[in-house]
Amino acid sequence: MENAILHSTAERVLASRSEARRRRATIYLILFLLVAWSIKVTVIDDTDWERIGSFSSILKEAGRFFAIDFSLFPKLIEPAFETLVIACLGTLLGVVLCLPVIWFGAANITPFKPITYPLARLMMTLSRSIHEIVWALFFVAAVGLGALPGILAIAMRSIGFIAKISAEAIEDIDPKAVEAIQAMGGGKLQVLRYAILPQVLPVIIGVTVFEWEINIRRSAILGLVGAGGLGLVFFRQMNTFNYPGVTSVILAILILILIGEVLSHYSRKSVI
Amino acid sequence: MPILEVKNLRARYSNSTPEILKSLSFSVEADDFFAVIGPSGAGKSTLIRCINRLVEPTGGEVMLYDTDVLKLSSSELRRLRRNIGMIFQEFNLVDRMSVMDNVLSGRLGYVGTVRSLFKMFPRSDIDRALQILDRVGLIDHVDKRADALSGGQRQRVGIARALMQEPRLLLLDEPTSSLDPKISREVMALIKEIAGEFQVPVLCNIHDVQLAMEFCNKILGLQDGIKMFDGATETMDQQKLDEIYAMEVL
Repeated sequence: MENAILHSTAERVLASRSEARRRRATIYLILFLLVAWSIKVTVIDDTDWERIGSFSSILKEAGRFFAIDFSLFPKLIEPAFETLVIACLGTLLGVVLCLPVIWFGAANITPFKPITYPLARLMMTLSRSIHEIVWALFFVAAVGLGALPGILAIAMRSIGFIAKISAEAIEDIDPKAVEAIQAMGGGKLQVLRYAILPQVLPVIIGVTVFEWEINIRRSAILGLVGAGGLGLVFFRQMNTFNYPGVTSVILAILILILIGEVLSHYSRKSVI
Repeated sequence: MPILEVKNLRARYSNSTPEILKSLSFSVEADDFFAVIGPSGAGKSTLIRCINRLVEPTGGEVMLYDTDVLKLSSSELRRLRRNIGMIFQEFNLVDRMSVMDNVLSGRLGYVGTVRSLFKMFPRSDIDRALQILDRVGLIDHVDKRADALSGGQRQRVGIARALMQEPRLLLLDEPTSSLDPKISREVMALIKEIAGEFQVPVLCNIHDVQLAMEFCNKILGLQDGIKMFDGATETMDQQKLDEIYAMEVL
């Protein structure tokens, strides 16, 4: 009797295992077909195979970038500085614009939740889902070429991340200090200043420095759409087919970003 | 003449939850060190928070120095709260601020909002803070951050902060529950001395019956939101204690 039960259980287990195997195989097959189809329509059909030429000509084309135009470096100092300034001012402006978004976007301090909270969340999503290049295109159209549209684009792009992390930090604070300030007769602003701010300030500073570091990368390419900085030089070198010059600009961007990363690392370490 | 009179106090957190305080009445005199004892969940913390309306009572009356607390507007309530010092189980300090700033924050009800936003406390407040810190034995720790102190020291900061308010009533919510037995006794002794020096009545939640019997002159025994005992400490005995704690499995 017991043997019979064991036997039928084993049959059932085996059946369900082979069923799972069949299902897996089907999924893999579908995935494979999807990938193959994507390659066919986007790469095979869409590439101009005639123009690529032979393997050696590909190497030759790519090889033109393997040189550095040293004469360009003195001319890169000013745009590099501009890129850095765009990142700094953009981040600063972003933080200032952030403050109301943080206030509205933290569920526990938002002034009128049914309206202000969704509004702030919308701002955060909008800021992050629009690419910095798109923001820059928008501001170049609005205020013209130069560093200013870059600064505005960086600021708008920064709001989302800084505000989201900061608002969540406010939602996660330890409520005990808040209770204490309320118990001694403190008003809303005093609760904000004495119980909430000391708890979240390190987070806000940390995330702002992190965002600043990312903004250096962003501002380095904004020149491609006319918003100043190294990107503009990059664009010009590309247009005049000066490939060693392009490499020089890329190197300059790399150095700038490395400096930013080192500064960001140590300054964030010191606030936490 | 009682300075705090509580009549038929009722409290519940929402309509779907059971009532926490069920028509509670008692009164505190000017020289009382008044203990509220009872098992966990009896409503001790809710009771003490109803006095300064950190928890909004659903019914009854709280008279404090002839003020009907439950009828105050929010700005009147803030003005009243600045005279009610509160000391908490977990100290409720701002960890990332200095001891001095924590103590000075006891003056928040007195300095203007704008001044307080820039931490611009008048010289007299700083002098007072130093005197009080000296009194509670923390004069050497003025510039330390609150989270650098030990539990007992942190509670002394809490005491100092409450004293900065020039309190006319001290509310203590389990002031010793986060401390070890020896420090607990020291802290209770300090609070008792200070209450005498500053002539301020004390209402104190405490689940440690021994400490209550030792330091308090009156005891209110709570069980499930109902008053089981209300009288001088001398009249409390083991049988009544057993009754109050009957529902708690020890």
